[in-house]
Amino acid sequence: MIKENNIKFIFLSLSLLLIILIFFFPFFWIITSSFKSPEEIIATSTTIIPRSFTLEHYNKILFNSDFFIYLKNSLIVSFSSMIISIILSVSAAYGLHKLKFYGNKFVEYSLLVTYAFPGVILLVPIYLLFAKVNLLNSYFALIIVNVLFATPFAVWMLKAFFKLIPNEIEEAAYIDGASRYIVISRIIIPLAAPGIASVSIFCFIISWTEYLFASILISGDNLKTLPVGLAGIVGQYQIDWGFLLSGAVLASLPVILLFVFIGKYFVSGLTEGAVK
Amino acid sequence: MNKLKSFQHPYTRGAVNSVKKNNIEGWLFVSPLVIWICLIILVPIYIAFELSLFNVKIIGTSGKFVGIDNYIKLLGKSKFLNASLNSLYWIIGNAICQTFFAFTIALTINYKFPGKKIMANWIILSFIIPTVVVVVIWKLMLSSSSGVINSVLIDIGLFDEATGFFSSPNKAFISLVLINSWRWSPFLALIILSGLNSINREMYDASKVDGANFIQQFFFITFPNLKSVLFVLGLVGTLLSFNIFDIIWLITKGGPSSATTTLPLLIYETAFTKFRISQAATLSIITSFLLLLFSIIFIKLMAPKEDD
Repeated sequence: MIKENNIKFIFLSLSLLLIILIFFFPFFWIITSSFKSPEEIIATSTTIIPRSFTLEHYNKILFNSDFFIYLKNSLIVSFSSMIISIILSVSAAYGLHKLKFYGNKFVEYSLLVTYAFPGVILLVPIYLLFAKVNLLNSYFALIIVNVLFATPFAVWMLKAFFKLIPNEIEEAAYIDGASRYIVISRIIIPLAAPGIASVSIFCFIISWTEYLFASILISGDNLKTLPVGLAGIVGQYQIDWGFLLSGAVLASLPVILLFVFIGKYFVSGLTEGAVK
Repeated sequence: MNKLKSFQHPYTRGAVNSVKKNNIEGWLFVSPLVIWICLIILVPIYIAFELSLFNVKIIGTSGKFVGIDNYIKLLGKSKFLNASLNSLYWIIGNAICQTFFAFTIALTINYKFPGKKIMANWIILSFIIPTVVVVVIWKLMLSSSSGVINSVLIDIGLFDEATGFFSSPNKAFISLVLINSWRWSPFLALIILSGLNSINREMYDASKVDGANFIQQFFFITFPNLKSVLFVLGLVGTLLSFNIFDIIWLITKGGPSSATTTLPLLIYETAFTKFRISQAATLSIITSFLLLLFSIIFIKLMAPKEDD
């Protein structure tokens, strides 16, 4: 018995070490590097502890680039996509998992398949379609696409939360004469609030990180999102690493901040019986 | 399946009525999303299908009707074969790596240790940051001239000199698989964790009494009980891996010598750098057909039986 516990302990410590090294160290590395002098970033001899400290890269990206324009665009697109996604997916999840109608399994599986539906396949025809209806170069073009990619999985995540709400509560309300609208707004939504929070953050992340469509559907500089702006620096022949790293850190900051506040709902939303 | 359920409470007219009412109301609640998705997927697919029958080159110009010529030409092209094979290797490579990483993370976090909560919350960091940032991180870490990985590997004596991780076809492919797995594994790990949480703890206790060790527990209790999670991961994970575009494009652009050109990259290249729209549309149609086929077969064979 003691021997098995020892083996377990070794396994656990080893995998913990590995996980920290692989999944957390890279973040330490780019954050510290973004404060290093340009010479130290590209130096051939690297040391784990930084030798220099400078704010010049942040100075440059905040006051000498289009960062705030890209940030504004990303925020507008991500928030709008999130709100529309939430409305559509809460409604659909309620229909799918509370009203069990004929054909609901078919809709559920089709949604799972569309979640993973390859965006690239749609890229060319969506470009043509949006060109026809004059949607190119607009926030709405990106919102339409982001909602498409976020909602299927959002519905799947909501399923677990809706299933946790006992049907008896709803039935009791109906017996008391409540309408469906009252039941949804007073019972379902408040009880599923943690689930809705976790789904919101998922939808926000999907829109925040989207690059492919944003790079094709938007050509005007004043409408570009942060990932597209950053990718522009990555693609340059001579990469200004300090500039790029500080941009990368700043572009991740909003999602990380959001995660600080409602991240625990997201994680528990994913882990607490999403499959029951 | 649902029909059967509705027959479970028969005999009362009220029950039958409410099932009918549920059908209409259920569809009403689902329809806004279904319409949204259908519009944005089916209309473009129709447009792509139409395009695939013509030979349009640059977007906005018109071409002449060529029937199924595009399909015949494409299926015989070595570029298409090469990209299909790359996509296949890509899916397999990612499946292996991500299964390994995701299970390691999930099983580790499932134990009690100090800092478990923080780790469980933040392990997903690599998934919530933009892909472009993932690219920046790994381009810096794996840089041949000043990358920290190279210098560590040289310091501990594994390498004699710095290697370019994206310079040879094989190295580039493997590096990309690892980077992509780095991004997705934590997310998948949390979904696996949800499956682990739903397993009855008593089964482990009972097996311990019978003398099972933790490796046997994994293969005889944990793994079989994760069926429904693994079904979703198998389906969604495969399609999602297939779909990856930005990580590959931003790091290698499909090179060196097309070694990392998967089908999504080929479609993009054909449409937006070679300006052969009809060919790209044809590729899209063939690819969607293949993926649809895969999904149907996968669901038919692997869908867990509903017993709740």
